[in-house]
Amino acid sequence: MTRILFLVMISESCNTLGQIFFKKSANRLAEPSLKGLGAYTRFLGDVFRVPYIWIGLGLMGAGLVVWMMALTCADLSFVYPVGSMQYIFVLVFSHFLLGEKIDRMKLIGTLLVVCGITCIGLS
Amino acid sequence: MKKNRLTWSILLLIVTNDTCDSLAQLLMKKGLVAPAGSLGFHEIFGFLSHNAGSWMVWLGVLIYTLNFLIWIAVLSRLDLSIAVPVASTNYITLPILAMIFLHEQVSWLRWAGIALIIAGIHFVSKSARLEPAAQSRGGGQP
Repeated sequence: MTRILFLVMISESCNTLGQIFFKKSANRLAEPSLKGLGAYTRFLGDVFRVPYIWIGLGLMGAGLVVWMMALTCADLSFVYPVGSMQYIFVLVFSHFLLGEKIDRMKLIGTLLVVCGITCIGLS
Repeated sequence: MKKNRLTWSILLLIVTNDTCDSLAQLLMKKGLVAPAGSLGFHEIFGFLSHNAGSWMVWLGVLIYTLNFLIWIAVLSRLDLSIAVPVASTNYITLPILAMIFLHEQVSWLRWAGIALIIAGIHFVSKSARLEPAAQSRGGGQP
């Protein structure tokens, strides 16, 4: 049990750090216009030129492998609720590493999402 | 440019992203064939070459790549701690899709979970709307 918990936590941390790096790369990119396919193809060229993207992808890959390891030794109804901890991780990490604000609305909303996923996992 | 606001177009983008993600997962699940026996680490190349001919797998990979780009585009407009909770919409769309297309039963606990997630997304989006007023740093927004 503790082993699975440990694996899930590592996977969550990898994923969250990956997201942090994605966000850091997104901050460096010019904001793409959401209209038109041309804007997206230009964006495609830009995205993979940011080094942070590759760090993020690597972390995501590592997170996925550890997640698979956790899945092989536990059932989904346990891993899912524990996995929803990622929302807490993102909230905390993005506060300390990206300087994003945690206000009451965001905290309540995130906790509700975690509770919701836990319900779904238990059902 | 209004930054850090969860507009309807960004919400639509996130929901599309999530729905495509679920779709890609279904394609992968249908397309991937596991070799007989356990899947050890040294068998991974066999596994890959075995599945390289499946169009479903390739379509799944293509959708994943497009989704990744959309996600980065979303992140360039929104705080990470707002975008990630809002992206939990796939927990809502997937059971509803499963109910419609696969005629799966959705239990009351699952409905409760869906309701909680919707409420959560609502609260987080409220935070997104308050943010520009709350943070006065920068301020150079035309």
